[in-house]
Amino acid sequence: MHITTPLRRSVQLLSTATAPALVVPTINSRPFSVLRRPRPNYPGHVPLTTPERSLLTIGSALMSFFDPRRGDMIAVLGEVTATPYFIYRLRDAMLASPTGRQILRDRPRITSKTIDLDKLRAMPENTVGREYAMWLDKEGVSPDTRSQVRYIDDEECAYVMQRYRESHDFYHALTGLPIIREGEIALKAFEFANTLLPMTGLSMVATLGLKGEERKRLRDVYFPWAFRNGLRAEEVINIYWEKELETDVDVLRRRIGLERPPE
Amino acid sequence: MTAFTNRVSSLTPSSVDFINRIGAWNHLKKYRTQKYEQMHVWDGVSGAAIDFGDVGLEAPAKPGVIATMCENDNLVRGLLRRIHELGGVEMIDKTRVKSIGYGTDDGEMDLSGWPVVQLDNGRELTARLLVGADGQNSPVRTFAGIESNGWDYGRMGVVATLRTESAGENVRTAYQRFLPTGPIALLPMPADHKSPKYDYATLVWSTTPEIAQKLKSLPPAQFASMVNAGLRLPMADLEYLYKHECDVTEELNWRESVLKLKDPKLPPKVVEVQEGSVASFPLKMRHADSYIAERIALVGDAAHTTHPLAGQGLNLGIGDVECLVKTLEHGVMDGKDIGSVLSLEPYFSERYLTNHIMLGVVDKLHKLYGTDFAPVVAARSMGLSAVNSLGWVKNMLMKQAAGGKTLIG
Repeated sequence: MHITTPLRRSVQLLSTATAPALVVPTINSRPFSVLRRPRPNYPGHVPLTTPERSLLTIGSALMSFFDPRRGDMIAVLGEVTATPYFIYRLRDAMLASPTGRQILRDRPRITSKTIDLDKLRAMPENTVGREYAMWLDKEGVSPDTRSQVRYIDDEECAYVMQRYRESHDFYHALTGLPIIREGEIALKAFEFANTLLPMTGLSMVATLGLKGEERKRLRDVYFPWAFRNGLRAEEVINIYWEKELETDVDVLRRRIGLERPPE
Repeated sequence: MTAFTNRVSSLTPSSVDFINRIGAWNHLKKYRTQKYEQMHVWDGVSGAAIDFGDVGLEAPAKPGVIATMCENDNLVRGLLRRIHELGGVEMIDKTRVKSIGYGTDDGEMDLSGWPVVQLDNGRELTARLLVGADGQNSPVRTFAGIESNGWDYGRMGVVATLRTESAGENVRTAYQRFLPTGPIALLPMPADHKSPKYDYATLVWSTTPEIAQKLKSLPPAQFASMVNAGLRLPMADLEYLYKHECDVTEELNWRESVLKLKDPKLPPKVVEVQEGSVASFPLKMRHADSYIAERIALVGDAAHTTHPLAGQGLNLGIGDVECLVKTLEHGVMDGKDIGSVLSLEPYFSERYLTNHIMLGVVDKLHKLYGTDFAPVVAARSMGLSAVNSLGWVKNMLMKQAAGGKTLIG
């Protein structure tokens, strides 16, 4: 435990608002990390020690690489690579926007309980709500398939991660990217440029599995679109989806400065 | 709310000692001054902090005074009363200086090298030595043709008199948080005797002209919340509050409930701002090429202007006065002409380098903390934490800031 102290001190120095206090071993200190585990900061939180975090990063990266269908492993990898910097940056981006702050205040959750899919399916053509419901139907998924954030220590940042995860299906509706592999990868590239979350960038590994023609289309058509728009458009994390369900997708796209992707 | 003026200075122990030695300190309203024994300074971006005079293992049983807060009006009043008590000085007030020129050679007396001050009531005063203690835009300095160089910081200092929750301790603390736009300082003023739950404090918030304008436009309750935000909230929240029209109090309450700030070293909460006490002034750095010319001496802001982040402006001026008096005393003892450059020379050579170093250090601190560029923040934070854990370095800095013996003699 004590070997890791200098490292943790320097990380704390950069990331927290208080100066670190010296850790002085006392007679009562217990050398087993399992007994020294800090208390969770929110329901479902699993606090990790530095060695545990490293192991989990390597483990989840390997699992995701060899079996990309392991959504749970990809989610874990997303969480452990988002700290210490990236998730704070995304939270600060939310704090800089009036809508982002409103989302952080309300902390809305996107689940089948909060979203009435039947109502969305009945909405007019090209509305955000209808496009979202149609995407879910085509993919055969429900809003509840997104897993719970567990490994991000800061309670508010954990919510940001959760929000990002639950908003992902809306990004499909927003961008209107085709439902082919290149489309999915292009969306990840767009998310990477827009949110800077490392996991979205790591997903680019998936291009390795593409055939020559697909890879060429991605490189020449979709990637330029994804990076240009990801950087230029407003932060999509700040869209209050629950309040945009009736908005026309093209109107929303124009408002945040997003071009229609190439066909 | 008892009125404290918003123009307040922090007097170092050596400045107080000088004012005491010349017999003026007892003429001040001491109940309007406030000593402080601790100082907490921290980096708004990284949170790295340094504490002075804190009650640690090595701290003496009775903590030493770091500085004394004193209203400028109170100090001026005390000095005037002392002058009156001593007598032998003619005070001319409610009068403007029309111009400064040179005398003439009437064959009997050659005054062509002597400055003559023309007053708007028609009086003319011929001076063996004209001391310019006439501020940043010193007419005496202009008359003497002495250049003053430096730059404007492009920042405003926003000041205000505040009422804060009382920390309930006998020792008082000065707080300064470095934000990328400039430091925000909360300096202790006397306790509120009507209500032991509250203390007074004075604010110096150095910031951009746009933010200063915004601060000045806020209603009193929102202003108080903004000061609390400036001393507590992370940069992301402050950026938002600077730029958007919103209920600052409401935003502050929400962020505090999420962030659960529990650092015991956080400054006490500001509860009220004294009406009409919010004001601002531009921050500059200037240093005159010389403090002396034939029959001319410059002291204080006429010779140098500094950023208020170290609270040294007035103290440097008092140091000048002390040194000039000593130089004149020697001149008189030796029977020299006290207006000649030759007898003034020791004053200039003793003060210039001391002031130059202080101006330079303050200027570098302003620049070092004027960024949120990550590598710079990391380096300065490690440096600050290192200094904070090295007692002897801290003691040396304290002695320097208190105006004791300087490193360079």
